Amino acid sequence: MLKRWIEIFSIIDFIAVGMLLSVIAMNSLKRIESCLKAYIINSSLLALLMVATAIYLSIPHLYLAAFFTIAGKCILIPYFLRKVIRQLKVTHDVEPYISSSLSLAASFAIVTIVYSVLSEGIFVAGLTRTVLKISVSIILISLFVMMTRKKAVTQVMGLLFMENGLFLAGFSLTFGMPTIIELGVLFDMLMGVLILGVFLSQIKKAFVSVDLDKLTSLKG
Amino acid sequence: MEPGNLFLLSGIGLFIAGTVLFSIAPGRWLNMLYGLFAAGSVLAGLYSLGLIMPSAQPSPVYVFPVSGFLELAFQGNPLSGYFSLLLSVLGAAVSVYSIGYMKGAEGPRFQGIFYGLFLLSLYAVFFSSNIVAFLVAWEAMSLLSFFLVVSDTRDEEAQAAGITYATMTHIGTAFIIAAFMAGYALTGSLDFQGIRAGLAARPEWVRSLLFVLSFIGFGMKAGIVPLHIWLPRAHPAAPSNVSALMSGVMIKAGLYGMIMMGIGVLGGNVAWWGILALVAGGVSSVMGILYALMARDIKRLLAYSSVENIGIMLLGFGASIMFYSFHLPALAGIALAACLCHAMNHAVFKGMLFMGAGSVMHAVHSKNMEEMGGLLKKMPWTGLFFLVGAVSICALPPFNGFVSEWLTFQSLVLGSQTPAAYSKVISLLGGAALALTGAFAAAAFIKAFGISFLGMPRHERAEHAKEAGFPMTAAMGALALLCLLLGVYPGLLLGLISRIPLGGLSAVSPLSFSLAPVSIAGGFSGFWPAAILSAMLLGFLIVFVLIKTAGASKKTVYADSWDCGIRALTPRMQYTATAFTKPVRVIFKSIYLPRREIRISYRQKPFFAREITYRSDITPFIESYIYRPLLSAVHWTAHKIRHLQSGSLHLYLGYIMITLITLLLIWG
Repeated sequence: MLKRWIEIFSIIDFIAVGMLLSVIAMNSLKRIESCLKAYIINSSLLALLMVATAIYLSIPHLYLAAFFTIAGKCILIPYFLRKVIRQLKVTHDVEPYISSSLSLAASFAIVTIVYSVLSEGIFVAGLTRTVLKISVSIILISLFVMMTRKKAVTQVMGLLFMENGLFLAGFSLTFGMPTIIELGVLFDMLMGVLILGVFLSQIKKAFVSVDLDKLTSLKG
Repeated sequence: MEPGNLFLLSGIGLFIAGTVLFSIAPGRWLNMLYGLFAAGSVLAGLYSLGLIMPSAQPSPVYVFPVSGFLELAFQGNPLSGYFSLLLSVLGAAVSVYSIGYMKGAEGPRFQGIFYGLFLLSLYAVFFSSNIVAFLVAWEAMSLLSFFLVVSDTRDEEAQAAGITYATMTHIGTAFIIAAFMAGYALTGSLDFQGIRAGLAARPEWVRSLLFVLSFIGFGMKAGIVPLHIWLPRAHPAAPSNVSALMSGVMIKAGLYGMIMMGIGVLGGNVAWWGILALVAGGVSSVMGILYALMARDIKRLLAYSSVENIGIMLLGFGASIMFYSFHLPALAGIALAACLCHAMNHAVFKGMLFMGAGSVMHAVHSKNMEEMGGLLKKMPWTGLFFLVGAVSICALPPFNGFVSEWLTFQSLVLGSQTPAAYSKVISLLGGAALALTGAFAAAAFIKAFGISFLGMPRHERAEHAKEAGFPMTAAMGALALLCLLLGVYPGLLLGLISRIPLGGLSAVSPLSFSLAPVSIAGGFSGFWPAAILSAMLLGFLIVFVLIKTAGASKKTVYADSWDCGIRALTPRMQYTATAFTKPVRVIFKSIYLPRREIRISYRQKPFFAREITYRSDITPFIESYIYRPLLSAVHWTAHKIRHLQSGSLHLYLGYIMITLITLLLIWG
């Protein structure tokens, strides 16, 4: 019953597009807290996509992976990041190098390039015809975000989004990796964010701000 | 087990035991452990002799798998046997010498361990039979010798010399790797035999490319001009026992590589390869000895003279390839025999000279010849052996240098039998270069011996010099005897060489060697070493008898020599090393580009000077006009490229982004 619905309404594609939209939204949001919310939405959609796949392909262990995704990416990581942001007293502005409308235009350009270039070969294989293209777009847009933001916190956010994109890419090609690997990736992510948090506070201590511009002075 | 393999395995066992003991033995006995290396060298030398002797079955292959299809393969053949014999002779002598030399040295454990491993890696280079084993052994040899170069002193110049050496040797290795990889890519075989078989059908330009690559790569290690600049820095910086091995054996590893690749693998039958080697050899020998003549540092003089001698060997090598390409195998064999023979002879006397320099430095605590003088009276044995080495290297009978340089000269003169005009001219020019080199070598070593051993002590440390200990003099003495033996009885060595087959080129059948005259069939001349020795002894005897009989009635007067009526000679009145070479500096000033600087500060102009400083120096031609511009070009480019590295994280992320999108657009 559910399986047929998923197929008829292309539920999986819809969820994936939702993830893409949340990344594009993040690219133009101006407040760090909103970015964090976008990340929670993105991660929840990822978990939802896993559940849909689990039903569609009858792979029960994906439920477990979805559960851990929600626990890690929707609760633990955002909680920790928010704590770091409060502790470091980072101002609320994202402070991009370029205006948000230009960022939107760049996202549009990236999606266009990816869709026009990746229209054949292995890129239409995978879960559905669109999921892999969407995941590549997510990765590139997140990279763009990392490139154009001044603050270290936003770099971390970009990295997190990129990881979701990578996860989606791997997921769409393998129809769910073994649970142990998915758990491992999640755990890595958690540790990564913890370490980055520590790094942020160290950068703050050494340079008084978390603006990455100041890192230029490290060059010999 | 075959006795030969037993020698090899027990020799290697001794080396390994020696290196292990160096890390655990009590400090006082460390220098005695060099005895183990000496014994190991002797055993390995016996094995090498067995390789050269003809035998029914080929020597065994030792294969050590590494991973996948990569494996290290070692197999002896007569050529590698000859070179490892050379290594064994010098290795045994230097190890004995080290027993005395390393007594109370700084950092003895590391030096001992590196020394033992260095010897082992040299053996591995000569015995390796596939690309992988050769490269591993080659790299080990380079790195270990680098460690040894920088191990001796904390002085900054030595460290800089080490860096120069490491850089140059790695550039050379890159060329060798390129040649080997190209060989592998063309033939699909990692084995030298397989590459040889696979390349035979390839067009000439492919083989020429491989030859040029390996010639540059091995030439870097051999120290041919203009790739030699590391050699006169690194060799003097190393401890003297290691300098002896580096100059005596390691540069021959480069020669071995050239012969193995050029003749053994690539066939050695293209005329211009030979011309290339001849030109490089001629230039190296003349330039090398010209700079040796100007050196004030005794070890630097010896190092430059190694450049010269490698040039002489290359003359033989090049002539051999040239003759072979003109289908004159007999002449090719003679030229190659001259090259191999000179390799052995040079190892023997250059090793001895470096040991002598080491003993002198131990006694005087200086490398500068201007601070020596009068050492012959304080160190008679060292002086005698140094003199033997100097006479040998100047190619004077009855010592061994004469034999090989004579053979080289003969083979170059026989170049007139080649059909083409250019080859006639080139080989005769090579002969002229060799003759010029011989004259300068004599001048350089008269200077080396005369300034440091004769006259009056130029420094108070030279006055209190003491003779080196027994192991040191014994090692030098053994090599001095070998110089005499190989000079009087060249058949011993040439007989061994004539058993070395090399691809299509079998060596030296038309030479006859024994105590009887050496002559070349179809050549112009021959010589009879035993007769020369007898004549010299006879002449000596006649003079001695004449003095004793005719001069017996005269009273012997003892007085200072050359004092020109001045009653009190001081050391400062002596001929200095710089003054001695002044005429050459004047004649060759277009090469040396001497600089002179006189600074006078006056108390009252123009008659009352307070202080006069005088500096004179020569411009290192190749460094100033080839390497400096090259280096500044590299610096300039690096500086420009550095703008890419702005320090901005965002820009780096941008690079990644651009790369990713470009890749997507290209391969998407």
